Amino acid sequence: MTFLLLSMILALGSFALLSKDLLHSVIALSALSMLSALMFTILKAPDVAITEAAVGAGVSTIIFVWAIRHTRRRSKD
Amino acid sequence: MKRTLFIIKITFTLLVLALAILPVILSSHPWPEASRDYLYEHALTDTGAVNTVSSIYLGYRAMDTLGETLVLLVSITGTMGILINLGRESEEEEAVSFSLAPEKRPTNAQRTHLLEVVSSKLGPVVLLFGFYVMLYGHISPGGGFQGGVIVASAIVFLALGTETQTKLTNTNVLGRIEALSFLVLIIAATSGVFFESGFFGNPIKSGSSLSANFIILLNIIIGLKVGTSIAVMCIAMMGGRRGH
Repeated sequence: MTFLLLSMILALGSFALLSKDLLHSVIALSALSMLSALMFTILKAPDVAITEAAVGAGVSTIIFVWAIRHTRRRSKD
Repeated sequence: MKRTLFIIKITFTLLVLALAILPVILSSHPWPEASRDYLYEHALTDTGAVNTVSSIYLGYRAMDTLGETLVLLVSITGTMGILINLGRESEEEEAVSFSLAPEKRPTNAQRTHLLEVVSSKLGPVVLLFGFYVMLYGHISPGGGFQGGVIVASAIVFLALGTETQTKLTNTNVLGRIEALSFLVLIIAATSGVFFESGFFGNPIKSGSSLSANFIILLNIIIGLKVGTSIAVMCIAMMGGRRGH
């Protein structure tokens, strides 16, 4: 279970880095936050899990989406 | 050429990471246990909070929490300072009023029908859950900061979903709540000095029926502060500019 979660987190992180579409990257980061919140729950740190889920998947996604709306969405090269 | 450079970069990063993590894996030094055992025995009697995490960050290390609140205040102030000058072209034009007025709704590309329906139903439930996490931070996992962020996302849901502007999504009201709760936090932090229990000490002497009263008070104040400040920032970001 831990190995599966960690490999999915790694895959989502590399997708967020390599994707040319920034909106896709933000959604991947949001999913990564949810998976790491699950990971923290398994590691018996529920306080950190609540913070990760609320900040990582909630507020930071709003801020990133706002920033993308006011700049360019696609990467140039 | 570009591809080999990319592979070299990836390999270099992995090497540096491995070098950084290697001492942790190879070390045979046992984990430090003194503070853990001390907290396990004394945290409940010292602060009265069942949740040891909140007894640390609002009891033993309350100074750090004050610093975190200050950091959040400064960053929100900087963001709002940038956002106020973002929308206007000249000096004569008045500053932007940060509100999600109904006439701005058609111009906002993010607002779709599905978003309105879902977020207006979800908002009150999330708000209630945020206050639960905030108020029960001394018993169950959670606390002021976590509850505050959940309350902030609930306020953003309500601002996106409801038709009319209420007091809850009015940035002026939210900003006043934020300033007032920061003032109350400073007063609560210094009040222990006058009751012989030191900075961030519990001014109410133990012996009352509710032993974690000071932690509950600090949780409520910090939750209101964090929730309203993040909500103000998000609402200002989403509805601040005109004609876009």
